[in-house]
Amino acid sequence: MFAYVVRKLLNTIPTLLGVWIVIFVLFNVIGGDPTYIMLGKHATPELIADVRAEYGYDQPMLKQFFRYLGETVTFNWGDSRATRQPIATMIHDGLGPSLTLTVPAFLVTTVFSVLMGLLVAYFRGRWIDRIVVIGCVIGMSVPMLAFILFGQYFLAYKMGLFPIHGFDPAWPERFHHILLPALIWVVVSLGYNVRFYRTALVEEVGQDYIRTARAKGLGELPVFLKHVLKNGMVPILTNIVIEIPMLVLGSFLLESFFGIPGIGGITIAAINNSDFPVIRAMTTLVAMLFIAGNLATDILYTLVDPRVRLK
Amino acid sequence: MKHARLWVGFISLSLLFSAACTSKPKEELPNTLRLAQRGKVKGLDPIYADDTYAGEEVSRAYEGLLQFHYLKRPYVLIPALAEAMPEVSKDRLTFTFKIKKGVLFHDDASFKDTGGKGRELTAEDFVYSFKRLADPKLISTGWWLLDGKIAGLNEWRQDAQKKGVADYAAPVSGLKASDRYTLEIKLLSRAPSFLYSLAMPFTSVVAREAVESYGKDFLNHAVGTGPFRLMEFSSNSRLIWAKNPTYRQETYPSEGEQGDKEAGLLADAGQPLPRADRIEVQVYVEDQPMWLTFLSGKLDLSAIPKDNFQQAITPGKELSRDLSEQGVRLVKSPMLDVTHYTFNMSDPVVGKNKYLRQAMSLVYDSGPLIELFYNGRALAAQGPIPPGLSGHDPKFRNPYRQFNIGKAKELMVKAGYPGGQGLPPLTYITTAGSTERQMTEYAVRVFDTIGVKLQIEAFSWPEFQQAVRNRKGQIWSFAWNADYPDAENFLQLFYSKNASPGPNDSNYSNPEYDRLYEKSLGLPDGAERTAVYRQMVNLLVEDCPWIFGVHRIAFGLVQPWVKNYKRSDFHGASKYYRVEREK
Amino acid sequence: MTANVGRSLWADAWLRLWRDRLAMASLCVIVLYSVVALLALAGWIAPWKEVVGGSYQPPSGDSLATFFGTDLFGRSVFYKTIHGTRIAMSVGLVSSLISVPIGVVLGAVAGYFGKWVDDVVVWLYTTLSSIPNIMLLIAIAFVLGKGIFSIYIALGVTAWVSLARVIRGEFIKHKEREYVVAAEGLGAGHFSRIVKHILPNVFHFVIIHLSIQFMAAIKAEVILSFLGLGVQGQPSWGVMIDDAKLELARGVWWQLAGATFGMFFVVLAFNVLGDALRDALDPKVK
Repeated sequence: MFAYVVRKLLNTIPTLLGVWIVIFVLFNVIGGDPTYIMLGKHATPELIADVRAEYGYDQPMLKQFFRYLGETVTFNWGDSRATRQPIATMIHDGLGPSLTLTVPAFLVTTVFSVLMGLLVAYFRGRWIDRIVVIGCVIGMSVPMLAFILFGQYFLAYKMGLFPIHGFDPAWPERFHHILLPALIWVVVSLGYNVRFYRTALVEEVGQDYIRTARAKGLGELPVFLKHVLKNGMVPILTNIVIEIPMLVLGSFLLESFFGIPGIGGITIAAINNSDFPVIRAMTTLVAMLFIAGNLATDILYTLVDPRVRLK
Repeated sequence: MKHARLWVGFISLSLLFSAACTSKPKEELPNTLRLAQRGKVKGLDPIYADDTYAGEEVSRAYEGLLQFHYLKRPYVLIPALAEAMPEVSKDRLTFTFKIKKGVLFHDDASFKDTGGKGRELTAEDFVYSFKRLADPKLISTGWWLLDGKIAGLNEWRQDAQKKGVADYAAPVSGLKASDRYTLEIKLLSRAPSFLYSLAMPFTSVVAREAVESYGKDFLNHAVGTGPFRLMEFSSNSRLIWAKNPTYRQETYPSEGEQGDKEAGLLADAGQPLPRADRIEVQVYVEDQPMWLTFLSGKLDLSAIPKDNFQQAITPGKELSRDLSEQGVRLVKSPMLDVTHYTFNMSDPVVGKNKYLRQAMSLVYDSGPLIELFYNGRALAAQGPIPPGLSGHDPKFRNPYRQFNIGKAKELMVKAGYPGGQGLPPLTYITTAGSTERQMTEYAVRVFDTIGVKLQIEAFSWPEFQQAVRNRKGQIWSFAWNADYPDAENFLQLFYSKNASPGPNDSNYSNPEYDRLYEKSLGLPDGAERTAVYRQMVNLLVEDCPWIFGVHRIAFGLVQPWVKNYKRSDFHGASKYYRVEREK
Repeated sequence: MTANVGRSLWADAWLRLWRDRLAMASLCVIVLYSVVALLALAGWIAPWKEVVGGSYQPPSGDSLATFFGTDLFGRSVFYKTIHGTRIAMSVGLVSSLISVPIGVVLGAVAGYFGKWVDDVVVWLYTTLSSIPNIMLLIAIAFVLGKGIFSIYIALGVTAWVSLARVIRGEFIKHKEREYVVAAEGLGAGHFSRIVKHILPNVFHFVIIHLSIQFMAAIKAEVILSFLGLGVQGQPSWGVMIDDAKLELARGVWWQLAGATFGMFFVVLAFNVLGDALRDALDPKVK
């Protein structure tokens, strides 16, 4: 077991390196240097040269790459070009609000959509299945923006059910403010998730062993609960693990419309300001979390089912 | 039956979810102002206060030597931390300021000598703060204010660049604290606008102890002498300010311009400042939540977002009935700004062809522009100087800004491109926001009428600035807001020595204009200077380096319980506001 | 016997699709969208640049042009929606033209040859799939500049990963099968075995991938336009939704409705068709 974990760990090294190289090439080699954001409307050539030197944009690429690696390994990404705040602090401060929104919303979404997925997979091909599929597609094609604007206007302003805007860092008041955005998140992501879980489960239904089980004379419901659910859990769990690192990113739209000071808002501000160091740090961080998440799933699977190790 | 049970689970979960809903609102102090910022407040260090959000927040905690009179218009400079207006030497180069005695910095842990009590402000603090603006390591966005103005400061800066570290102990000949309360500033040449820069947030005074003890984190703190103390700061969410208990003895002004008394703006005359006990600032990135919060009475002041205009204002430009019945007041005031299209004068096509520029200026119809994008709340600009500044001529009509497509087509023939034939598409650079995209579509349609095609390149704001500074692109849209209330701030935009990457983004260069500009710098405000300004404007009108757009009019809404509100183009007005709610 | 596995599978699949009325309807919808997109591209329909009424005129049944109302400049929202079809379909098509060859070639080569070739390809796609897709899209759109061209590229170079993964898996399975071994025995070279023998047997995965890719591309265009990284100078659904951000506040809902309407049917059609294709082509699911 231990040897297996070590092997898996070693396997992530090339992936990590690859991620670092891709990100570095994108941002430092092709992306160029974002000097002007720091200088505002009265920039001079002399100032521009100062900034280049200060941030190492005038150095050879290899040196810049090692600088980036150093920053990544120590989680010390330097300062934002736009706000001059240390990026590590920005991420640290943004994580709380983002997770406050995304974790409950994600949990509710996942529970609902797995349940719905089970339901429609069981009744696959019948009217309830068709209706849910169409409902999901409606949910997937109406832009989140529409939900936000209507939710904010009718539910929060007209009916006064939720606060219109804002975030309170205190516990448990912070949950009060994320209710409406979380609700919108759930409604919007339900469509995709239900469809995904339905497909995963329906695929299991077609497997040989299910047919064998049926042939052995087991009823539809027992087959479904015993075999389909058990085996369908693997793709479901995989999907959940894949989505977890994304929770850190928060939600661009929800955060800016509801004034939640999270990572999504920071990212969108960084995009608008061409704040490359922030976007780069964010991309690196989420990619690393993603790799860690995959590693964790691999190891978890072998704990649950030692046969996986042989594959 | 299986699915029935699922539904029970579904419903109970949603109940659980909504149960968290019921939490009680916090109690509010009666005299709390609730304000909005429409963008992220990037930090509170005065030397980086280059956008309106940071500028406004900085001015709650920090002060400079001078400030603008709250009520008088046109704007008048009055002392802030200075005891009186400075003594000016005969050659008008040396300014001697007496600093107010007994002014204290906010209490803060960084004052170790006094056990956390704020110490007294001295003239040395100004010397230190001005040097920070010049420190090359800090890369201040306000350095242009003092660049080349104060004797010895540029040398001090170069020295710091060479050594790699700034020596704050090294003297600067033009910046001297001759005693504890006397500050002497010596200029290199006459600069009539210099005093204005002492009222801008950039030149606010900071405490060295705080700068040094917080280091890089200084921009998340505010230790000044100002009317409010920082209680909470979250750059993209909210700021909470409380009345500074040790604030200097400053009182509400007892005179204003005509009509202020009738408007009740003098009711608090002579009362100590600040008038409010607490300010809660919320950052709104999007307009809709800000507008809805205002409508629900939880925001005290609000601009009217462009797209909520119909809802708030009647076609006669008055307040809608719903709002006026709630007691909401509408405040209209022209802004000190000008929007414009810039032609890149160093470009071989547009820069060398006056007739082409004039033709484009003639078809850029400001009527529909003002209706579609400003809801009628803007004045068509005839020249660079906005109304409200001396030098603005309300009767002047720019001959190339009176929509005339026939004349424009004639000029296109003269330009050598009859009907646009032979003219390659012009590179139009713009930022990528939603409103900007719509304005770009407008420009495409308008210029198409005389056969001028545009090739659109959209950038983020910094990339756009970079493109402008590097003289890329042939035409772009921009706006200039006054840094200080003097026409010189607008006219310097065409001075050839300010060309890119300086603020003269059109790279306009005309020796005659430069001569007149230099001449105007030496002149005091008066008929002679106004005459020179008029000559300069005439040159710009004929050469057409810009298509003048509009001067915007700000429409603000004020809740009935806010007293003493008057719109100002400059920062630091919040200390005058007061909240009076019915019990 | 082995040689006609491919053909009978396809014929069988087609028969099954033909019987699925919903799937056929979806196929018709997609064909209709494609035709509309082509006509809009040729400029024969939907003159979206023309002013057909006042600014922000609400929908009215007077004429086709004002059926969905007008926008800020009085242009027809209906025509803009039609024109948006062109952008949406072209984004799907061009990004697929980029991603399918990359995905098929890399997946096939990796699965067939194994060893270090496999290691390199697997490394490449694990790396790319470790970076969150949205961040990668943003980064690429940033670096290449704004506009439709960089949307094509960004979507194209991110979307091949899932296809390559599937194709690689299938090639690993198929290269050991008797028909391939037999072909080798008859003297078929590597190229011939890959292209002539194995590829036809796994090609249905490409079709399934296409239906998903199109949908993802249409949605990605909306997100990128919303972030200000999208199409410039012509209407697309993403741009219309971005406009709606400003307009909804003044009660102008029809641009959002138009774009959503345009998007809904094509997304639904690809969804249904994708499912039906999977059912029809994947022999496991019956």
